[in-house]
Amino acid sequence: MCGLAHYFESAGFATVLVGFVREHIEAIAPPRALWLDFPMGRPLGKPNDPAYQLRVIRAAFELFERPSGPVLEDFPDVIPVNNGRMGYALPPGLVLTIDDIGDVAALLARVEQEMDALRPAYDAAVAARGRTTVGASDMDIDQFAPFIAAFVRGEKPKSPRKGVTPIPMLKLVVEDLAAYYTEARTHRDAIDDIETMGRWFWEETEAGRLLLSLEAVALESDDKVLRAIVDMSLITPRFWSEGPLPGSSGSGW
Amino acid sequence: MVRLTEMPVVAHGFISELELPRFDNPAWVKPAAPEKRRVAIVSTAAVSRRGERPFSWLARDYRVIGKHDRDLVMTHVAVEYDRTAWQQDLNTIIPLDRLEEMAQAGEIGSVAEEHYTFMGAADPVDMEKSAREVAARMKQDGVDTVFLVPI
Repeated sequence: MCGLAHYFESAGFATVLVGFVREHIEAIAPPRALWLDFPMGRPLGKPNDPAYQLRVIRAAFELFERPSGPVLEDFPDVIPVNNGRMGYALPPGLVLTIDDIGDVAALLARVEQEMDALRPAYDAAVAARGRTTVGASDMDIDQFAPFIAAFVRGEKPKSPRKGVTPIPMLKLVVEDLAAYYTEARTHRDAIDDIETMGRWFWEETEAGRLLLSLEAVALESDDKVLRAIVDMSLITPRFWSEGPLPGSSGSGW
Repeated sequence: MVRLTEMPVVAHGFISELELPRFDNPAWVKPAAPEKRRVAIVSTAAVSRRGERPFSWLARDYRVIGKHDRDLVMTHVAVEYDRTAWQQDLNTIIPLDRLEEMAQAGEIGSVAEEHYTFMGAADPVDMEKSAREVAARMKQDGVDTVFLVPI
């Protein structure tokens, strides 16, 4: 982001950015930057709060009044997250092994039942918001869980999407599955809390268990790409955990 | 405050080891008067219009979002950030409605027709060619001001 600011400024545009990692902003020194002590994923601060969002934009645009740069100022508010995190993190001890997975068909049936139960809430969320972010994979919702379960059984199903290979497709389906759940619950229960949503989806739902099972399979896999999604923390949220997934660096970029 | 030194071990290791680009002799453009600014958003949230080709994991390319596009999906590779905010309100990451309100109120001149998204996980040095292409498109659109927003 800071690098892009330099490119655009050098092309003749006045730029300003908001950013999360102050040390990076200091090092790359874009022309104008406003540091936000917010959770990652919320650069304008708060959903459905236009006044707050405008405060952030105005604070950033105020930096256009500075006569010279680089300019780095701090937005005065803090939106706290737990323990130095900038997002939800799985507890390091919550790790499944292949022996924990059990009957995949039964697990799949439980996920499908859970998804059916959430469907009215999901549909109501889409109707209320006039949009959904589910659909990155372009797969039908009722195909998400069976597609993921096939990988948990050790299979590698073909990607139904032209130009997207199976593992990147798997990752998109995983994100669509999570979005289906969280869109439903943030609307139904009026929850806007990262920790609550993370704990619920990853630690309490059958879908979370399916994905932890997928992680266990990936950790033992000979498939380099499937293995890479564990080493790169691309399926389960362990980036902000207090320790890496056992058997993985957790940051194998 | 979340500083690198306070971050848990995995995040601290990853973020502190990133190689950061250097920009010698950085440019400095005098901004247009607020009421004359034409503003484009550049986001690194890897958002695109539904049905478009997903971003690859370390994509160097970009996608275009029209100022009225709202049916968007995200194909960012990383999972360390919250996605529930943008699920509830696009403006939490790409504040098109807020900019339009500012334009209506005369706080800025206008909102660009096109806005742009990149994959934030990629090395910015690898994005330079795409950034130059985006710059050309923004010139064509009469943009003079760029608001860069991470995810």
